[in-house]
Amino acid sequence: MSMATTIKSEFERLRNTEVWRTIFRSGSGASNLHRAQAVQQNIFLHLFSVKVRSRALEFSPTWYLGALTLSTFFILIATGILLMFYYHPSVPQAYADMKDLQFVVASGVFLRNLHRWSAHAMVFLVFAHMFKVFYRGAYRPPRQFNWVVGVFLLLLTLLLSYTGYLLPWDQLAFWAVTVGSNIAKAVPFMGKQIRFLMLGGNEVNANALLRFYVLHCVILPLAAILMVGVHFWRIRKDGGLYVPEKKKL
Amino acid sequence: MDNNNQPGPLRSRPTLRELAYFGVVSLVLLVSLAIAPAKNYFSDWRHYQKSYLKIAGERQSGTLVRSFQGGIRQTWIAKLGVVDRCESCHVNLTGALVGATGQPFRKHPIIPHDLEQFGCAICHRGQGPATSVEEAHYTTEAWEQPLLPARYLESGCGQCHLGPLQGAPRLNEGRALLSSQGCVHCHIVAQPDGNVLKPEDNPPPLTHIAEKTSREWIYAWIRNPQSYAASATMPNFQLNEQDAADISAFLMAQSTASPTSHIEITTASTAAAPGADASTEAATLYGASFCSSCHAVQNEAGNLVGGNFGPELTRVGAKVNPDWLRRWLSNPAAYHPATRMPHYRMDPKQVALLSGFLLAKKDSDFLANAHLAPASADSVARGKKLVTETGCAACHQINGVNPPQNFAPDLTHVGSRALAQVVFAPGMKHNLPDYISAKIHDPRSFGPGLKMPKFTLGESQIDALTTALLSQTDHAASFPKELIISGGRTSNYHPGGEAGRIMDDLRCLSCHAINGNGGDMAPDLTWEGSAVQRAWLEDFLKNPNTLRPALIRRMPKFNLSPGEIKTLTDYILTAYQSPGFDAQTMDAHALNADAAARGKQLFYAKYGCQSCHIADYKNDKGYVGPALTSVGNRLTPAWTYKWLKDPSALRPATIMPNFSLKDDEARDLTAFLMTLKAKQGGGK
Amino acid sequence: MTDDPKMQAEVQSDVRKNPRRIAFILRRTSPHVKTQDDTRVMTYPTALSRFVIALEVAFVLLVWISLLANAPLEGIADPMHTPNPAKAPWYFLGLQELLHYFPPMVAGVLVPGLVVGALIVIPYFNINIEGESLWARDRKRRLLVLGVVLAAFCVFLLVFDVIVALVPTILIGGLMLWSARFSAESPKLFQRWLSSKPLSFWIMSWFLVELTVLTVVGTFFRGPGWSWVLPWKS
Repeated sequence: MSMATTIKSEFERLRNTEVWRTIFRSGSGASNLHRAQAVQQNIFLHLFSVKVRSRALEFSPTWYLGALTLSTFFILIATGILLMFYYHPSVPQAYADMKDLQFVVASGVFLRNLHRWSAHAMVFLVFAHMFKVFYRGAYRPPRQFNWVVGVFLLLLTLLLSYTGYLLPWDQLAFWAVTVGSNIAKAVPFMGKQIRFLMLGGNEVNANALLRFYVLHCVILPLAAILMVGVHFWRIRKDGGLYVPEKKKL
Repeated sequence: MDNNNQPGPLRSRPTLRELAYFGVVSLVLLVSLAIAPAKNYFSDWRHYQKSYLKIAGERQSGTLVRSFQGGIRQTWIAKLGVVDRCESCHVNLTGALVGATGQPFRKHPIIPHDLEQFGCAICHRGQGPATSVEEAHYTTEAWEQPLLPARYLESGCGQCHLGPLQGAPRLNEGRALLSSQGCVHCHIVAQPDGNVLKPEDNPPPLTHIAEKTSREWIYAWIRNPQSYAASATMPNFQLNEQDAADISAFLMAQSTASPTSHIEITTASTAAAPGADASTEAATLYGASFCSSCHAVQNEAGNLVGGNFGPELTRVGAKVNPDWLRRWLSNPAAYHPATRMPHYRMDPKQVALLSGFLLAKKDSDFLANAHLAPASADSVARGKKLVTETGCAACHQINGVNPPQNFAPDLTHVGSRALAQVVFAPGMKHNLPDYISAKIHDPRSFGPGLKMPKFTLGESQIDALTTALLSQTDHAASFPKELIISGGRTSNYHPGGEAGRIMDDLRCLSCHAINGNGGDMAPDLTWEGSAVQRAWLEDFLKNPNTLRPALIRRMPKFNLSPGEIKTLTDYILTAYQSPGFDAQTMDAHALNADAAARGKQLFYAKYGCQSCHIADYKNDKGYVGPALTSVGNRLTPAWTYKWLKDPSALRPATIMPNFSLKDDEARDLTAFLMTLKAKQGGGK
Repeated sequence: MTDDPKMQAEVQSDVRKNPRRIAFILRRTSPHVKTQDDTRVMTYPTALSRFVIALEVAFVLLVWISLLANAPLEGIADPMHTPNPAKAPWYFLGLQELLHYFPPMVAGVLVPGLVVGALIVIPYFNINIEGESLWARDRKRRLLVLGVVLAAFCVFLLVFDVIVALVPTILIGGLMLWSARFSAESPKLFQRWLSSKPLSFWIMSWFLVELTVLTVVGTFFRGPGWSWVLPWKS
């Protein structure tokens, strides 16, 4: 007990230092004002409202699917940045880099596994989140626009996963992308042009790899981060998470 | 409705349960995250490096332990695309730690290449960049070329060495089999330098088959060639009775008259002289003509005696038409222009004797079951269809059926074929060597409707063929050009003029090679004119006698006329001279008796030549090299001198070692050898 | 004003002195009017700690999956050797399954385009905001119309031989038509639940089941030449 009090008082002292107070402007204290300021005065957290309905934190209305999706997104960003240290978007070096990750890089296989499985999990969770929101009726006014943002986030997630699929440059990647890009050819009038734009050529080759790499590592993540920001900000602006009252059937 | 303006109840502090959850989950997360690095620490290669150091420590190899550099080691060769990390576990390839015999610490045997020069996986296959036992050696999802079993290892050599290679007997045998078994009639096998393997089995044309044999024999033969001749090259197509009957009907129907059919058979040759004397005489003639150099006959014990260059003759009497045989023995090329059989100059009596001798070779059982209904037009038409479908014309010339194109899969890159393209038989291991081996062993076991016939091959021959085929990878295409070592290509040299006509008639090139064209059964004659003396050559052509007592194959006696012998001798001595070689270069005065005496000393004492050669039948027992008892009559002094100085300069494939003789030693030895002038074939 | 006013609207001329908001609540604007006040918690630390726990749980699960299962990696890309079957990522396999039945123009462009379009317009499709039951009104006419539409769609799927999509359609459609028999007074909870669902629920459920079935079939039950295989027999 005395141990816990010591830690607690040391922590309080830390919170009263000038450096801490310049970073977290809420300062010390355990009042609701301080708690509110912790959210309000933080650039990342101020997207959220200061208080939330405790009913919105229950498990059954949301299954925490949005939070879990965001979690996988965070894991993907972290592992993705680490993977970028070992990866060259060129043929055939890209595949050799997979082998090096597998055989030489410390915990390289684990890193790649985590990224791969998190990506699959994120796609699955995004779909699950969407259906859960629909069945809850949380898309209805005034939350129409946030639903649309969500649909765009779904598309972004699919594109992120699809562009990432090519990067290992193995048979699985190559043919999956070939099959996928052939569908684009079916678009009337300009299918061929769309496919050309997508692949940087008429077939899946080194140009396509570079294009997918840039999309996967720069453009799509930035767009997704931006949209996620909008998505969360809109939750606050639209009156918090929508949680229906329990109706008696 | 007052509370519309009141905030609801507010719970501001987190509960203890929430904090507990947070703590527990965080702890589990931290522990889970620590597992991957731990797994990394217990990797295969670290384990092996540790046990290597332990063994080195036990053997008191302190220097080894101190100089050992741990970590992943790799051989990286950019121009070959090699990244091999085998040495991370196989740390003792150089054998620095003596006596560590268990894998992965075994010493690599000495090979002609530096281990650093090509890495490991180019020859051994397996996954070079891998650092775990499983991934490096076995088939995985990402790697379908497991470590090559040791018995196919020579296929690695064959990727760059495209010709015969010393030290790789299995590869050489396999490549020879691809040609001699006729595999390359149907399959294309091209080498990285563009050379395409050519068939060397010389299948007979069937355009005049009706003159040669009967429909019954064809029927029995195509149903099971090996029941007629155990050594037959023709594979078993596993035809049913109806198909075999139809094919034989068609083959008889398409046959036309050959040019030889007009040649009258003289009465002298038809009247085979009866009696025991005649049969002894015939057997002697068969022996003297050295028929058994090329043709084999099964003896009582069931063993084949004789060469395999021509067809087996055990049951030839059941096969051939007597008149055809007589015409054939008189002049084979008239029936089969591309035959390898020489034109013996036999008189009618000899033809009669020999044909009688051969026709007696039959057993009554062979055709006992071949009872065929007369051929109908339907049967002939069906036979033609079957012949086309079966691909008979890929090997045999047949009237009205063109040789099929692209009849069988191209095997140029079969050694690196993707497993996804391979259809495995049920229950077999999914790897390339097993597939190729099983396919050669029993092609039809892979499912119905397959065309490849069953060849009669021993286990070692199948291994050799598999080795040769596994060497057909597509690696070589990405290798630098200077690494590829082409095999000797056969030229299309043919001797010209009158002598050329005689040599063609005698089929000299069936056995001898001249200027890069011809067989390898007998000595290369390209520089024969420089090597031998005129008198010996004339004598030899009149009555050939072997130089090598241990050989079964001998040059046959062709019964040449004196005119023919003179023409041939003149031509050989003029045309087949080694460049920059003058028979007069040897100073005749240097070859005096003193020199010969010194040479004899060198022969017996210093160099011990008698261990391989015979200079004197009474004392010497060397059977490895040719007998030298009459070498003074045979070879020119200039050739002998040059030969002694550097044998492989004159005959690259010779097994005679280079003793690095000094000039005067070589001269003295030459002087001694030139004194050896015993009568040819003497000593018997 | 009556004796028992449902709502008070006090209007004063001086707005600066006494600002009041007036809300006119109409039936069709919102599904939910707050009738009671909820307990609230501070975002920091309660809500945030919940989120961090969720993140950690997801992380732990994924770490264990990554420790136990390796991400697939095949041989290096080779344009000369087409694997059979060549499959897209799993989330596109529903589309690839449709490509097996319909021309690419339909399965590859029209269907996904319509799906995305439909998803976007869902919240703007301003009918039945309150989520009124499908069978609450016009029961007979709706039964007839929906029955005919469903039958026509099934025939269409049958013509194109799309058994995979037909089965879920019949299942969900049948359930929908069956639910017309029930009402809020039905004895069983499940029946009352079925009867309370609006049309949008049925359409979305059909989409969900189709998506799942097509994806599962494309992922696990399709082999060389897009023929049927059983995943446990390979």
